[in-house]
Amino acid sequence: MLFNSIEFLLFLPTVFFLYWFVFKNQLLAQNVLLLVASYIFYGWWDWRFLSLIIASTFLDYFIAIQLGKTDISKKRKFLLGISLVGNLGMLGFFKYYNFFVASWIEAWSSVGITMEASTLNIILPVGISFYTFQTLSYTIDVYRKEMKPTKSFIDFAAFVTFFPQLVAGPIERASHLLPQFYKSRTFEYQNAVDGVKLIIWGMFKKVVVADNCAFFVNKIFENPEGYSSGELFVGMVFFAFQIYGDFSGYSDMAIGLSKLFGFDLMVNFKFPYFSRDIAEFWRRWHISLSTWFRDYIYIPLGGSKGSQGFQIRNVMIIFLVSGFWHGANWTYVVWGLFHALMFLPLLLFNVNRSHLITKSYGWLDFAKIGVTFLVICIGWVFFRADSIADAFQYLAHMLELKNLGLTIFYKTNANLMIFGLSVLAVGILSMQELVWVIKKRELPKISAFGALLLVLLIFFMGSFKNQMDFIYFQF
Amino acid sequence: MKKFLTKIAIYTFFILLIGNGIAYLSLYVLGKSQLYKNQFVKNGVKETHFDYVVLGSSTGLTTLDTKLIDKTLNTSGLNISMDDTSLSSHYLMLQYFLSLGKSPDQLILCVTPGDLQNPVNELNNNDYRFLTEVQDTLVYNYYNRMEQGGLKVLTYSKFMPILGVSYYNNELFYPSMYAFLKPTKRNRFDDKGNYTYPQIENQIEKGIVSNIETSYLNPSFLKIKKLCYQKGIDLIVYQSPIHRTNVVFPNTDEFKIINHSRILPEDLFFDNIHVNSKGRTFCTLAFCKEIKWIK
Repeated sequence: MLFNSIEFLLFLPTVFFLYWFVFKNQLLAQNVLLLVASYIFYGWWDWRFLSLIIASTFLDYFIAIQLGKTDISKKRKFLLGISLVGNLGMLGFFKYYNFFVASWIEAWSSVGITMEASTLNIILPVGISFYTFQTLSYTIDVYRKEMKPTKSFIDFAAFVTFFPQLVAGPIERASHLLPQFYKSRTFEYQNAVDGVKLIIWGMFKKVVVADNCAFFVNKIFENPEGYSSGELFVGMVFFAFQIYGDFSGYSDMAIGLSKLFGFDLMVNFKFPYFSRDIAEFWRRWHISLSTWFRDYIYIPLGGSKGSQGFQIRNVMIIFLVSGFWHGANWTYVVWGLFHALMFLPLLLFNVNRSHLITKSYGWLDFAKIGVTFLVICIGWVFFRADSIADAFQYLAHMLELKNLGLTIFYKTNANLMIFGLSVLAVGILSMQELVWVIKKRELPKISAFGALLLVLLIFFMGSFKNQMDFIYFQF
Repeated sequence: MKKFLTKIAIYTFFILLIGNGIAYLSLYVLGKSQLYKNQFVKNGVKETHFDYVVLGSSTGLTTLDTKLIDKTLNTSGLNISMDDTSLSSHYLMLQYFLSLGKSPDQLILCVTPGDLQNPVNELNNNDYRFLTEVQDTLVYNYYNRMEQGGLKVLTYSKFMPILGVSYYNNELFYPSMYAFLKPTKRNRFDDKGNYTYPQIENQIEKGIVSNIETSYLNPSFLKIKKLCYQKGIDLIVYQSPIHRTNVVFPNTDEFKIINHSRILPEDLFFDNIHVNSKGRTFCTLAFCKEIKWIK
């Protein structure tokens, strides 16, 4: 079920009504309701996907219980191993099996050896990477004795499947979200109002910014050779805004929806395109994933301690894994590598934290923001292209600078209109976020009038006819 | 909670009020313009009687030039075709045309073989253009019949115009702003309702000719035929050229057929189903000869 669908428009008020009116002050009933609602929400895509999420829930619930019962290191490691193998095995099979088989065959064929192996017709379950990481965080935290295992299966299952953030995050830590299921929740007016405003802002980013930009992005990336350098450049910038509007829009809606039910989710985006270097970008972009990798992989690997070689190794691992997490394609790995290469000089010159001490923005900062944005955009070409070769071709053709014409954007009246809308939408988004960045806000702050205006903009600027799926659902 | 729900209700009310107000104004302005074919027929055409009208989709719009026909045969005609539509929309357009108090002696119905034998009618891509007339029972019933799915945005626009106007904002809302500034502007057709594709070298592949047999299964076609009979309109079915295709029609005495599926030289095609500007002249003159013969 999509947040921007008619079904969800009926689903949400129904769950909200049952939650606050029928099951008010009944914690267990509220959690059962959230669990059932989340299964309906998830099963709406394909009910068969439910079996995986239920299996993952059972696995980590029982393993955590067992971990809580023993202090024997060997046994604890064994139990953790089962959880890792079970969860990552499921993820690996459904997301990466065909990719590994195809890559294996391709690798051998490149040295002249023909191999035969059949790929499987596997449907990638929506959001599998998100809930797998969420359940893993629980087992690892219990293993590390950073939290106690929950005895309530309902609470744990509701935590794993919590519908606002189930399919595209934020990837919540068990230590942050799970305890919220233990406590009785009361309706707070201001919290709910903030939630509604966040939902509206997220919807604006998705339906107005991302989906309008997607119209041209899809055309241009489908056949880059057919477009001028100027058109390719705009296509690249539009994709940057498409993916940002799409993904951060979803996160904003998820956080807003959670607030309606009395939950608090972590901030996932802090206006990342106003970063002054790549290090800052990764502190502002998909924060729930980057901190997950930091806490569960980077720091256990040694982090930034040790020799430079050691640090470089850790950075490379973390960025490559992050790239690979996104999808079964080498383009994502190269995207991760690209970011690692952009990040490493900052680490080596020990300036990867300099943005943390800068209090205000000067002209130089805005110049840095511009340069960083361009670097990020180049990275997005690898992320969006179908293959690495396509990405290089795209960039080479763009950098030829032979033809800067923008014909595609005014070829027909419809194109001109959508181009105008896209530019206007990106402009509104950027100007508004600039204000928040300067005011040092972490979350959008919208007035009642602003929210009303945004709803009207969604109605009259939204791309309803060319509606796109959320990009991150495929991850 | 009470305060929250009250505020949500108040804001929803205001949003719907303002949104519907804007949408209503948008449809009103568009309804007074000549931008799309139905608005043109209503506001841009003063004559009420025609010797013939050409009705069809893009092939009807671009194959027969009513100006050339009128010059050659000394007649008075109009092209009321609309691109990206099918027989269901043609039936609606004919009903709408007649409901405005206008009438033709002959209806030149431009068909495509696939559409003619399609027993299922669905909403067409450009049917939203009739949204300015959604208060008209004719249009409302058409939307209600044709629209599928949970939320019938066009149908329910009768009560909440914001639904259709926001869903088709690029096609209705922004063009209405343009129409406000230029109410006589027409969207890709001339003052007789014709449009022509440019004279460019086509990229179509050569090959052998195949026969396509069609049949009269489309319920909207049968309705058009019946309506013509009731109103005393002479129905002529016209088949425009199709590249490498010979359309075979079942014999009938109920209406006349002019079949141009195979008359056009390769270089006069714009693409596989459309003619270029020279092809249009070629077809129109051939049509004039045959229509004289039929008369």
